Amino acid sequence: MLLPSDFSLRAWEYVFSPSAGTWGAIGSSLCIACIVTLVNILICLPAANVIARVNFKGKIWVEGILYSPLIIPPFITVMGIHITFIHLGLTETILGVILAHIAPTLPYMLRALVISYQTLGFSWEEQAKMLGAGTLNRLRFVLLPHLLPGIVAGSSLTLLVSLSQYLITFLIGGGQVVTLPIILFPFISGGDIAIGSAYTILFAGIALFSLWLMNSLLKRYYKTRILFIR
Amino acid sequence: MSMLQKGNPYLYVLPAVLFILIFFFGGLFQGLLQSFGITPYNKDLVFTTLAYQELLQSADFWQSLLLTFRVSFLSTMLSGLLGILFAFILFIMALKGYDSNTASLFYRIFQYPLVIPHLAAGYLFLLLLMQSGWISRIGYHFGWVEEIHHFPILVNDTFGWGMILTYTWKEAPFITLMIYPVLFRIHKSWYEVARLYGSNTRKFISNIAVPLILPAWLSSLFIVFAFTFSAFEIPYLLGVTYPRLLPVYSFELFTHGGWMERSQSLALNIILAFITAILGGLSYKISKRWLLNERRGWE
Repeated sequence: MLLPSDFSLRAWEYVFSPSAGTWGAIGSSLCIACIVTLVNILICLPAANVIARVNFKGKIWVEGILYSPLIIPPFITVMGIHITFIHLGLTETILGVILAHIAPTLPYMLRALVISYQTLGFSWEEQAKMLGAGTLNRLRFVLLPHLLPGIVAGSSLTLLVSLSQYLITFLIGGGQVVTLPIILFPFISGGDIAIGSAYTILFAGIALFSLWLMNSLLKRYYKTRILFIR
Repeated sequence: MSMLQKGNPYLYVLPAVLFILIFFFGGLFQGLLQSFGITPYNKDLVFTTLAYQELLQSADFWQSLLLTFRVSFLSTMLSGLLGILFAFILFIMALKGYDSNTASLFYRIFQYPLVIPHLAAGYLFLLLLMQSGWISRIGYHFGWVEEIHHFPILVNDTFGWGMILTYTWKEAPFITLMIYPVLFRIHKSWYEVARLYGSNTRKFISNIAVPLILPAWLSSLFIVFAFTFSAFEIPYLLGVTYPRLLPVYSFELFTHGGWMERSQSLALNIILAFITAILGGLSYKISKRWLLNERRGWE
């Protein structure tokens, strides 16, 4: 009664059968999450640079605008913009889903990068410049190594938040953009318990695995760098 | 001014700000317009507050609001208490000089619920708490409940226990994560000084540690409340069909109804956005005051 008396791989066989479309869902989930992460890095790096290190007029407003998706639930704005997305032909497309995923994830990336830039200050870059390093060398040897932990932390959070979006993907993707949460949902809301459980384990496993991969890449990077300096 | 500080800061923030203004605030604004009956791409624009009137007059809305408030409030309180308890367990371990490996292991265990997506967490609690679930079976096995169906209904229940317990499990580690760094900055020497003056651990915690973390704790409570008040996945999985939590109610109005229901859904969204924005503002105010005090106090 407490422990199951027999085991079967029926649910896992179904999950990985070609008709279930699990691989495709994993693929589009990761593809969306990765593009969202890249776009976030690109638009947050310059913003974090000045938010962390420069005082300018209206900074509090800029921060308020950029962090607001943390407080105001993003599905509200997605429902509002839905009609415009229909007119622009962005519903039921991967591009539309990517655009919808950026706002809810941007604050996490920004926060991580701002913390990195705050601990950097200006003196390291100035020193490198004084010693004759050009823009490219300063970027490669000073800025990037210092910002990397922040980039990895921000990317991990972005990946995690993007991977777990259900409602926004459903509203914009309209069931045509099939990500892992979309494929999982019918099974966990009153469907087959075994298949629902298998998908849940797979889903949580992929989220954990992406985080672990990011962190171990970072650790390896630092190990090789430390060896190099020695 | 440094030589690297040249250049216009507004140019640096422009891409991010533009994106959020267009795709986030743009969406909010269009939602606001539609809630007043003004549909973009539609020629006949008539300003009407009908959606708000219908919403505020319907019993469904008030029932949902009450339930949402209760679930959010209880989740926030429970996760706030558990979160602070976890943080102090870690803090006392550090004070009493446990080896850092044990402490960091506990710290990591507390973080695991944070990385489990809400959908997955919701389903795990469904499997745990339902009448044919694990806890009920364990209870039956040990004779605590006579029949499996005597086990209290904890998921898809009208009170919302399933949602409250899942949120508590998910958000307590978040609160620990928000307050532990503040606790961590209390120097060990302060504890030694306090001991020297005849204080004990309990007094040290209640007189020194608790007042220090109070602002961070309150500010994170507001964040958790705003989140649980407006999140969709867990109530959709673990709630009942009537009364629904506000985000689920809004979703069903949006997807299953006609144009009238749709503008009601958008009106409901605007009310939700308003409530969460106020909570966010309060959280910011509290943490800001704390930051100002911090500069005076810590250094």
